Amino acid sequence: MASRANAMLSRASRMKQKLQTALEASVLEIEDVSYQHAGHAGVKGDATETHFNVKIVSPKFEGQSLVKRHRLVYDLLTEELQSGLHALSIVAKTPQEVGRS
Amino acid sequence: MSLSSSLTLPCFNSSFSLKKSGGLSKRSRFSSLSPRSLPPPIKFSGIFSNPGFPVHGASESNRVSVQCFAALNPELTSTLDKFVTSHKVVLFMKGTKDFPMCGFSNTVVQILKSLNVPFETFNILENELLRQGLKEYSNWPTFPQLYIDGEFFGGCDITVGKMPHSTKFESS
Repeated sequence: MASRANAMLSRASRMKQKLQTALEASVLEIEDVSYQHAGHAGVKGDATETHFNVKIVSPKFEGQSLVKRHRLVYDLLTEELQSGLHALSIVAKTPQEVGRS
Repeated sequence: MSLSSSLTLPCFNSSFSLKKSGGLSKRSRFSSLSPRSLPPPIKFSGIFSNPGFPVHGASESNRVSVQCFAALNPELTSTLDKFVTSHKVVLFMKGTKDFPMCGFSNTVVQILKSLNVPFETFNILENELLRQGLKEYSNWPTFPQLYIDGEFFGGCDITVGKMPHSTKFESS
């Protein structure tokens, strides 16, 4: 039942739910930029909800390399990546890093 | 070193017949690419939505053809180990360095070119098996994938963020 209700949400909403829950993000911005990649090589079928920009500020990134931060995000979105999500542009920062910039 | 020519991928086409018990028996014919390879872990695709048995909806003759795609296996891992260490900089990308077929891949290519760094590329669009195997090998679900000194460096975002300040390309 929950999964069916979940499926009716947009991909961006589902991503937001998953990332917010796991990362306790103080900033979480998700932008669907699939329209910029329509006709993209290697994208099969309908090019909707395939490419997203994601910006996350989370204390969970503290002490982690960029590769680890991105892997953390990718791991949380495994289901989406297996169901048509094609690419993510990720900005992953800690609150301290944002405060310094 | 050409990855395509040196790669021995256990890719094969198989024909299956249904056993009376409802399972499948397999007669496999390996492609010439890897005659010595052991059968790899295989994922069924296409006809069967569920790789479990018994199979329903098979043809009347109970013979169906499927193409089996191998997941990352020790042989592919070893080949990739050799390839990523064969050059200082290796980029797995969509398209080629002269004709990138993806904005993200193109961005990394342009960065590397602007740094005057020699780099080897591989077009993952040419080989779906390798494309999927690399995602497991790198533990990274997207492309491009940049390797430096045999280690995974990152995708486009990380390369953009780090490369101008990176000391990795100082003369060694």
